[in-house]
Amino acid sequence: MKSSRQNISKGWITTAFTAVLAVFLTACGPGASNNESSNASASSDKNGSKKITICLIPKKKGLPYFTSCAAGAELAAADLGNVELIYDGPTDGSPEKQASMIEQYTLKGVDVIAVSPNDPDVVAPAMRKAREKGIKVISWDADAVQDARDYFVNQATAQAIAHGMVDTMVSDIGGPDVKAEVAIVTAYLTAANQNVWIQHMKTHIADTYPNLNLVAIKPSDEDQKLAFKVTQDLMKAYPDIKGFFGISSVSFPGAAEAVKQAGKSGEVMVTGLATPNSMKSYVKDGTVKSVVLWNTSELGYLTVMVGEALATGKLSSGATSFDAGKLGEKKIDGDHVLLGDILVFNQENIDQYDF
Amino acid sequence: MKQRILNMIWQPETFLIVLIGILLTAMGRLDASFLQWEVQRALSSHVWELAIIAIPMTLIILTAGIDLSVGSVMGLSAITTGMLFQKGLPLPLACSASLLVGIFCGFLNGWFITRMKVHPLIITLATMAAYRGMAEGISHAKPVSGFPDSFTWLGQGDWFGLPVAAWVFAVMVGIVLWMMHGRAFGVGIYAIGHNETATRFSGLRVDRYLVTLYTFSGFASALAAVLFVARRNTAKADAGMGMELGVITAVVIGGVSIFGGRGTLIGACLGVLLIHETREFVSWHWNRDELNLLALGILLILSVVFQKLLRHKQGSAI
Repeated sequence: MKSSRQNISKGWITTAFTAVLAVFLTACGPGASNNESSNASASSDKNGSKKITICLIPKKKGLPYFTSCAAGAELAAADLGNVELIYDGPTDGSPEKQASMIEQYTLKGVDVIAVSPNDPDVVAPAMRKAREKGIKVISWDADAVQDARDYFVNQATAQAIAHGMVDTMVSDIGGPDVKAEVAIVTAYLTAANQNVWIQHMKTHIADTYPNLNLVAIKPSDEDQKLAFKVTQDLMKAYPDIKGFFGISSVSFPGAAEAVKQAGKSGEVMVTGLATPNSMKSYVKDGTVKSVVLWNTSELGYLTVMVGEALATGKLSSGATSFDAGKLGEKKIDGDHVLLGDILVFNQENIDQYDF
Repeated sequence: MKQRILNMIWQPETFLIVLIGILLTAMGRLDASFLQWEVQRALSSHVWELAIIAIPMTLIILTAGIDLSVGSVMGLSAITTGMLFQKGLPLPLACSASLLVGIFCGFLNGWFITRMKVHPLIITLATMAAYRGMAEGISHAKPVSGFPDSFTWLGQGDWFGLPVAAWVFAVMVGIVLWMMHGRAFGVGIYAIGHNETATRFSGLRVDRYLVTLYTFSGFASALAAVLFVARRNTAKADAGMGMELGVITAVVIGGVSIFGGRGTLIGACLGVLLIHETREFVSWHWNRDELNLLALGILLILSVVFQKLLRHKQGSAI
């Protein structure tokens, strides 16, 4: 009895060991041949010219927003031909992991690291170390600590975003001469991005649409339920209100839901900043006519173009414009490369975008 | 004699060394640059905090307990360092204060477990939430940055060719190994893990042991927090998020039985080494963070299955 049990367990161990060995052998096989192509900085293409390795790090891997950016980056790498693109980021969105990844890429000696920092302060030491080693470091989508990077690929200026939202609202509620009350539902009252946008929105309204009356600016504390409640309250306080700006990806759906549940879809317009997928249902049922964002695919494309140009020396500090291939000429403002125009999603085009 | 050699071979530690050997060989074949000393030394900076916390965790799991609050203690200690520094306190004082906070957090865990007779799993689950909540509350989730170079050296600098944290870890392991080896302290821990009631009746002060261990765990977490703040130059409330899972995984992979009484500190250290190398290599070679979790899961299952079989084998051989 005892010995048979022993034999069984011995058999198990042998089987399991064989299984492990098999796993490693198969892992070694294709990997070993892969080695040359993945060994980043040393590899060359057929013409003998050096391949440039660009690492694109998103805030969080697996988010549709960043996946769509990555698709654009792939396109740029294919168009350029001399670029090897690595797209990887923390699946849990942890800034520590972003820093660890930057450290790894630095050790490997890649040419360009482009990062959308989750927490600028946490990744800054790693970014500075990479720069010390001669690696070109750029931030994209969100800016980093200024001295830790060479360039920031800025998807849209605060002014472009603010003007875009106001212009969109005006055309949605009846044209340039419309006389109406509108309100803003923001993130936090202290949110830096939002406050700059609000400032630009106010000046733009005062300069261009004097009949538009901005009656309230309310915080939603990045809480969709609070955005919902705030919007409800505003509709009670201002029965004639014609439009809401939801200027964060959380306050926008919250405001839209409040208008929808009040049965005022089409009567009270909501517009703002969000990804198309999160707003598709509201666009379909008419609560929202337009969603403002930037072209994420072009953002990824431009980031890779800038990275390649920095690594090859085509782009150096002091430049005021940059030839971004199929995107055309892009403006450079100081150390910001500007993607430029915003993108407006509406009933006609929203189905073409999936993020 | 032959029996003795066989027994030595069928130890979890031997199995781990063989597994690490196979893995490193495979990694070297796939990507030789990964095994360079410079690369390994630089990458090691990612693991020391986990390794330091794994020491008390091993002892606690040996007594059939568990401490889920380590990551949250890290967060609370990190933010203590940061906020006191921001208030203008000298850094040595700020660090000492954060170590005291860690010690107190750990002591509180031990006190609840021994006095209130609450299961460690429950009480540390509760304090995991509570300590993290306090950290977020005190700091309003705002990070503190801008520490002087003299301090960040602790986390980023080298001392005699190794990161400072590596020396801290080495000293701690040395002391604990010395205390465990053939001394009453070590015997007591294993005894508690095997049969707490019998140990109690045999006159050992079980409660004192447990309070000491959980306090030690709090201290180690706070120490890891200080090193972490120095390494990342940022103190924030979510420091050490998910740390407890990494630490417990490493200890269990290292052959320490979650039911207590079985396993060694050396094994746990090998477990730490194994998951560290796996993690780093997966993102080094494949550039796919999502594979990391998969690899970790496979390792854990493999290791547990093997150890189960090894114990079986051992049991029938003796």
